[in-house]
Amino acid sequence: MEELLTGNGAVAWGCRLARVGFVPCFPITPQTEMIETIAKWVEAKEFDADYCQMESEHSTLSAAVSACATGVRAFTATSSQGLLLMHEMLHVASGMRLPIVMANVSRGISAPITLWSDHNDFYSAKSAGWVMLACENSQEALDFVPIAFKLAEHERVLTPALVNLDGFILSYTREKTDIPEQNVVDGFLPAFKPAYSLADAEKPVNLGSPVMNEYQEFKAQQGLAMKNARIVLKNLFKEWSEKTGRSYDLLECFECEDAERVVVGIGSNMATAKTAVEQLRAQGEKVGVCRLRAYRPFPFDDLKQALSEKKGVAVFDQNFSPGAGGALFHEVRSCLYDCEEKPLVDGVIGGLGGKNVTVKNFESIFEQLKKHVASKEESVYWI
Amino acid sequence: MAGLYGQLDNEDYLVGGHAACAGCGAALGLKLALKALNGKCIVVNASGCMTLLGVYPLNPLKVPWIHSAIENAGATATGVCRALKKQGRENSVHVLVYAGDGATYDIGLQSLSSAIERGEDFVYVCYNNEAFGNTGMQKSAATPRGAITSTSPKGKVEEKKNIEKIISAHGCYTATASVSHPFDFVRKVQKAAEINGPAFINLLTPCTTGWKYEAKDTIEVGRKAVDSGYWELYEIVKGEKTVTVKPQKETKLADYLKMQKRFTGENEE
Repeated sequence: MEELLTGNGAVAWGCRLARVGFVPCFPITPQTEMIETIAKWVEAKEFDADYCQMESEHSTLSAAVSACATGVRAFTATSSQGLLLMHEMLHVASGMRLPIVMANVSRGISAPITLWSDHNDFYSAKSAGWVMLACENSQEALDFVPIAFKLAEHERVLTPALVNLDGFILSYTREKTDIPEQNVVDGFLPAFKPAYSLADAEKPVNLGSPVMNEYQEFKAQQGLAMKNARIVLKNLFKEWSEKTGRSYDLLECFECEDAERVVVGIGSNMATAKTAVEQLRAQGEKVGVCRLRAYRPFPFDDLKQALSEKKGVAVFDQNFSPGAGGALFHEVRSCLYDCEEKPLVDGVIGGLGGKNVTVKNFESIFEQLKKHVASKEESVYWI
Repeated sequence: MAGLYGQLDNEDYLVGGHAACAGCGAALGLKLALKALNGKCIVVNASGCMTLLGVYPLNPLKVPWIHSAIENAGATATGVCRALKKQGRENSVHVLVYAGDGATYDIGLQSLSSAIERGEDFVYVCYNNEAFGNTGMQKSAATPRGAITSTSPKGKVEEKKNIEKIISAHGCYTATASVSHPFDFVRKVQKAAEINGPAFINLLTPCTTGWKYEAKDTIEVGRKAVDSGYWELYEIVKGEKTVTVKPQKETKLADYLKMQKRFTGENEE
């Protein structure tokens, strides 16, 4: 069934189709529409979940943690300040290996306060031990929720997952979106079978107990789980494609095959970059876009394969770490370090606090990259 | 005491070998609460002394236990309650929150208040040693005026927060208890568990290391707290307060205070 769905509405559908049992939540712009949609369905008995408005985002994720630990599939959603308030619990959820799925509707972080799209909230979670997926459009926003659950619940992964969508640009834009039939999703995602449960009186578990010397081993296990997640996710994308006809991979490589220069980034701005590529291709420029659908696990091998023979790469970061630069730039550049002939890597920061990023901007990024490749001088700059 | 153990489950759900101090009032309180519920409970703990009862891979608890952070016991209990209900198991097991006074009066008050407002079905026992004990006795909002802590070295200047008034204002069952009066405490835990909704018990748990008295005197200190009228034992049901144990008038407040070295500061009155 095809419908015009906002990004928020698409995620709500993904949550409903995944037969989530518990949705603790807290309102925050630009995510609120998502939980309003779910609340409406639950009230109308169209969605058999327990919906619970909490008193803060910290409490929201706390309740998701304990509900998941008690054996129920839990989903929540947040944005910006909310994700930051949850930060402590992000680490708890991943450390306890609880397969919670959460949507984050990216928005800039105060101060100064802003409502608009910006990925600093998303990147702030990069060390929290969550699988991190980034959507470009409503279809991905819907599809990634059941995929994220199946990935998170996989016995070799057992890691919570964050599904990111851009505030306003994606959260409020209506796009034609295919809503899969319930039986299709049921055939993909089985009922939640927790690895352990607080409700299991026969096997009482102690969650969150202190460790003396084994802490590092627990963290190493989370690292292994992420390694597994890369392979499992690739397989799940294939399985999803067989069921729905929609193919995904960790990367979306658009016109990359013969491209000499490539823009790398995440999220909806990459759709704009693709338009720039189409226009430049019409003028004979060999350019492409490489978009990461998965940021954690970081697709090292995939990126190396996609970019190692390029002349130049421009990493577009809609986030900024004062004193260091864009998060993605550093990781992509580091990933290309052991290529025989390293591509030149530009770092471009833009779109902070929703600053408009246009097709012209991306044309200019490609133009700059061409110059820098010729002069062999990497550049980090803002647009 | 024979009578008490005659009424109570013989099984211990917190067993020996745990890491609490000798004479720990809070560990004793937990042991009693678990017995009162016949071990049919999931325990939600907030970061504090009791979090350290077992250190991985050792576990002295025979009941399911979750600790996730210090400020979120109410929210964590909410998730457990909702998940049990979703699975139709809410009547087979109780949800017992066991959180310290710092986690209750201070950092976790918002989470507790909201969980009560939502009417979640749990028994919340605040084990109250009147300070942040696990970090080495810093003052909390439960520390009485005059008590020395490491962050009130001359004795605390402020009055303690009236938590019973705050919690009972939500309209839920609210009681005080002391580990020195186990019959009273156990009865209150069982009564609280029967209530279909939130219930709060503020349990005085004397602290040998923090209050500076000999480990053997935990019960005696608790008795003197009650008998002197310092710690009144009562319950509030639908706004009606009933005293459950009458203090022994011959015990003076000074008798209670002088047993402990924490009341020897300049600000002591």
